[in-house]
Amino acid sequence: MFNDVRVAIARRDIASLSREKTIVLALLIQLFIAAFSSFLVVGLTSLYDPGSVESDQLTVGVSGEAREELDRAGRAAEVNTEIYPSQEAALEAFRDGEVVGVLHSVETGPTISVTATVPKSSVQSTVTVVQVREVLEELERDERTRRSTHLSTQPVPLPPEADASPYFGFTYTILLPLLLFLPPFISGSVTVDALTEEIERGTLELLRVAPVSLTDVVDGKALGMAVLAPIQAVLWIGLLSINGIDVSNVLALVALVSAISLVVVVLGTVLALTLGQRRQAQLLYSIVALGLFGAAALLPEHPATVVAKLAVGSETQITTLTVVGLAGLAVVLYAGTRRYVGRIDPERYS
Amino acid sequence: MRPRKLLRIARWEVTKNAGGIDRKTAAIVGVTLLLFGAVAPLVVAQGGVAIDQGIYRVGIDEESPLYPVVEDDPTFAIHDPDAALGEEIDVRVSFTNAVSSGTQKGEAALSELRSSVTAYNDRLMRGEANQSAAFPVSVTLKYVERDIQIGPGGNGDGGTGDSGTGDSGTGDGTGDGTGDGGTGDGSTGGGGTGDGSTGGGIGGGFPSLSGSSGASGAPSDIAPPFPFESLVLAFLFVLPLNFVIQAYGSTMLSERINRRGELMLVSPVTRADIIGGKTLPYFAGAMVFEGVITAGVFYLAPDPGTGVYSILAIVPLVLLFLSATFLGAMFARSFKELTFVTVAITVSLTTYAFVPAIFTEVTPIALISPLTIVVRDIQGASISLTAFGFSTLPPLLAATVFYGLGAGLYREEDMFTQRAIPLKVLDAFAGRVKRKRSVFLVSIIVIPFVFLAEMIGVAMLFAVPEAVSIPAILLIVVVIEEVAKSLHVYAGYVHNRWDSTLATAAIVGSLSGLGFFFGEKFFLLVQLLPADLPEIEQAALASGGTVPDVSPLIIGALLLAPLLLHVVTASASAVGMRKGRRGYAVGLVAAIAIHFAYNYTVVVLFVQ
Repeated sequence: MFNDVRVAIARRDIASLSREKTIVLALLIQLFIAAFSSFLVVGLTSLYDPGSVESDQLTVGVSGEAREELDRAGRAAEVNTEIYPSQEAALEAFRDGEVVGVLHSVETGPTISVTATVPKSSVQSTVTVVQVREVLEELERDERTRRSTHLSTQPVPLPPEADASPYFGFTYTILLPLLLFLPPFISGSVTVDALTEEIERGTLELLRVAPVSLTDVVDGKALGMAVLAPIQAVLWIGLLSINGIDVSNVLALVALVSAISLVVVVLGTVLALTLGQRRQAQLLYSIVALGLFGAAALLPEHPATVVAKLAVGSETQITTLTVVGLAGLAVVLYAGTRRYVGRIDPERYS
Repeated sequence: MRPRKLLRIARWEVTKNAGGIDRKTAAIVGVTLLLFGAVAPLVVAQGGVAIDQGIYRVGIDEESPLYPVVEDDPTFAIHDPDAALGEEIDVRVSFTNAVSSGTQKGEAALSELRSSVTAYNDRLMRGEANQSAAFPVSVTLKYVERDIQIGPGGNGDGGTGDSGTGDSGTGDGTGDGTGDGGTGDGSTGGGGTGDGSTGGGIGGGFPSLSGSSGASGAPSDIAPPFPFESLVLAFLFVLPLNFVIQAYGSTMLSERINRRGELMLVSPVTRADIIGGKTLPYFAGAMVFEGVITAGVFYLAPDPGTGVYSILAIVPLVLLFLSATFLGAMFARSFKELTFVTVAITVSLTTYAFVPAIFTEVTPIALISPLTIVVRDIQGASISLTAFGFSTLPPLLAATVFYGLGAGLYREEDMFTQRAIPLKVLDAFAGRVKRKRSVFLVSIIVIPFVFLAEMIGVAMLFAVPEAVSIPAILLIVVVIEEVAKSLHVYAGYVHNRWDSTLATAAIVGSLSGLGFFFGEKFFLLVQLLPADLPEIEQAALASGGTVPDVSPLIIGALLLAPLLLHVVTASASAVGMRKGRRGYAVGLVAAIAIHFAYNYTVVVLFVQ
């Protein structure tokens, strides 16, 4: 359906991107984001799951009336514990660095109150708090079971512990949507640039001298930008697979990214042609694009959820329908834009 | 710079550029905002966006006691328990017995189910009549300062922890630093080993907005000191800046299109007037945004500080965003390029502002970001002047450097020419390097930038095991320093500022090294900070000549050694540069190798 002129314009736009090496910059940015997110993953999960980073076992000192129970809970939670006869002895060991934290217990009537002492403001305090919490949660479960006759409803039995990667959920629900949505967002932004640049520099005039219509020009520019994002998406999915992250439903994902690219490219085109100046158009583009992304929560499934579900292989009928619906919407919007462009009088930009 | 002219240009910028055809834009903005304003409550009403909705499929029937758990958690999609495990479902629950498919996803699903059950049980127990049976354990969390040496055996802080000699060096530093309570977060009164210094309490670092704070609670209530809200805050403070720099970058670049800026350049105003005038409205606008946000946040926070520190700490951040965008707009050849440059600025500066603030409670490195000051101010913690200076001076100086370099390009011969970005960078430096002695000055000027880059490197490697992070940070530091010492000298060569004799190369190289040495010494105020910096940070500062606890003779030698080092390495790159780009590369690699060997030796000998 595209004749040579439009392909030529698209090629010219992409060529100018690669000539300016900006496409390299774009990929670098994304690489940086990916590296940065994985840094965040490692950093944050290590805060919550010390086992994922810290290999050595830390020892927690226990003392007080319920020290035997605490010790038992520690063993069940796979945390090293050491029994001390008194709180003073345990705190002494804490100060000397023999234990990383101290749990001192006092039985106050029907409950056990535990004072947890952990080191202040260091990485260790985070790790310690997590360990301490595991021990105490175990203790809480034990004690609840002992008191079960006093409870009107029984707690739900806990499923077994699983050998799960702490990054799994993050990879599919945050990292992947981020990597797949950023390229379309930038594509739309560059569409605004490509058009407003021609308008502001006055070179749109020159293009009009050539035997092309404004629709051809817009077609070409939109085409160039709309194909870039899916290509980058494929690239990312490939890179993730090399890193051992399996992505399912690649075709559907690429279709979704293409649809979203086309929608934002349409947005960029309309804004650029109505406003004619980069500053206003670009500003509005980012506001509207971000707003639309938020408003997409009103769909039965947010596009980010769709990406996560498709990639992890839990797609449902709604997921498929959303992809098809977005693709349809993109095509309809694009057709509408072409009609709008056809009615614009190019003289208004001179 | 004359204020009257500057203000006039600022007024033009507002009326001509922003107010011109803007009825249409204003209308669209208005409609858009109205629309989103109408949509936002709807989104909130349906519970926001849960991206992980239904990503795990659980086969379960209604008989199972776990059914209400799975039903309550939107992460799970409920399927028939007889479906094929692994193909159609990830976890199968038969009554109380849960089995995963064994794949990564299955295990993740099972682990998620486990934590869902824990949370569900706590909710269930909260409705119990007999609360002491429902929550038989109550916890009080105390954060206590410890005065022990770094890495006593068994505390396991990574691969290098076993060095017996190491304790004496870093240990003393730690003792001193924590002793005088310089951590700046106020809650520690005396310091030392005093066990009365109860910290933030349960609920972690940011006990305000979520309302989950308190001195005690059930075991599941205690959380590591991780200020989740500070992430949200960081987002709030940084997001508007991205819109401002969009507009600011456009207006700066549009001066360069079709020689529009020429009229202004030939008029009887200085460059500083033009740049200042065009920047002022955006700076003022950004500060208004930030002021409103600060006021809002402080209004909501239960126990905030005065807010003065926050506003003051935001100023350098705003300036940094604007200055980087200004420089980007001076470099960019086209709108498209500007878009990529803007995205690069957004991403890298957001990282800079954002990531360290996550670790507000954890480590003093967090202070490299001004947002840490904001977070602390909101928490109502006291902020020492040193901490404030440490946070705000580097970005402020870096912003000044960006403006200085950009202003060097704000002239006819540079504004209206199209050159690749690397060449523009060299042009920007060449504008500052006119004589040999200016090499010395530029070396000093780039220091804050070097410092920021190094600290970001440290922050990025924060979570990596020490065995890897120390060599890595040494390499990063060395590369950053060597490039910073040589780039402007190279710009001088490219622009034929110096002849190609060996003597000249030695002179400019030495001047650059000398300047860098002085600048670095100036920045040793880092040392005034609490000294419980992690080892990697000390490694980063190794060539700064900070060596505790050795004889005065060695200290004297070690003060001079960095000077010699910087002079030698800068000269090495300068000698290479005489032979063009390839020569520069060779010289730079040699300089990096020398510098790395030196730093590594220092770290191995004295820090560990």
